[in-house]
Amino acid sequence: MADERGATGGGALGRPAREATSAAPGTTRGPGRVLVALYGVFALAAGARAAVQLSTQFDEAPLAYLLSAVAAVVYVIATIGLARGGRGGRRTAVVSCSIELAGVLVVGTLSLLDPAAFPDATVWSGYGQGYGYVPLLLPVLGLLWLRHQSRLAQAQGDGPDRTG
Amino acid sequence: MSTPLVVAATVVAVVLAALGGLSTALRRRIGTAHLAGTALLELLLLVQLGVAVAALARGDRPEDLPTFLAYLISVVLLPVAGVLWARSEPTRWAGTVLGVATLAVAVMLWRLLDLWEVTGG
Repeated sequence: MADERGATGGGALGRPAREATSAAPGTTRGPGRVLVALYGVFALAAGARAAVQLSTQFDEAPLAYLLSAVAAVVYVIATIGLARGGRGGRRTAVVSCSIELAGVLVVGTLSLLDPAAFPDATVWSGYGQGYGYVPLLLPVLGLLWLRHQSRLAQAQGDGPDRTG
Repeated sequence: MSTPLVVAATVVAVVLAALGGLSTALRRRIGTAHLAGTALLELLLLVQLGVAVAALARGDRPEDLPTFLAYLISVVLLPVAGVLWARSEPTRWAGTVLGVATLAVAVMLWRLLDLWEVTGG
């Protein structure tokens, strides 16, 4: 990592940050990048889990495992939408974040009311209990961030977002 | 899987997340402390990977081998992905991005340990 030092520099805690977060729209800038990182981790976690469950133990709990797979796909689409930005990316992300929010609320409620229907946990069981409730928090943060972004874009004449 | 190693790596990961948060709070990008910490974390994870592979080679098998392997490989890649991504972020949120990656590493390590302790026949 010695070769990376020159590019980062500025002492142990890094050089002062550029303050461009609120001026330029773009879903992957500033806090948006934190969201994309979180979504990426969840896409990975849910995807790996669904792949294992569907390939090795599908018969045990088809409904729960299919839901895991749906959750994984939604996370991947939301990650791509947020990462791409622009009007299309934002719209994709809004739809997938909404599905996510609905999913975590519906599955969370059902898994508490009728535990027998969900013999094995999905990411959305118990409102994302097994994942520190992050699955419940993520779509809310995502939608708030997207609303903020589309307002910025509108304020700037609804031009195309800068991506990346 | 070695519990002391998991504890050591978790401590490094949590300290890194705190450093990342500090950089964000101080409106700074990530610096040498973050890079050194991530290098140390990656080293611990690679040693952990070696220990796990050696145990698998000896014939020890966790019950849920596919999940164990998926976690084992992803956990080694996460700090690298996190640091690369944080370094290309020009705003103060770089540290938080790194923190997300290292906290995910900490969680995954304990999940790995759980998976390992449920040994199959």
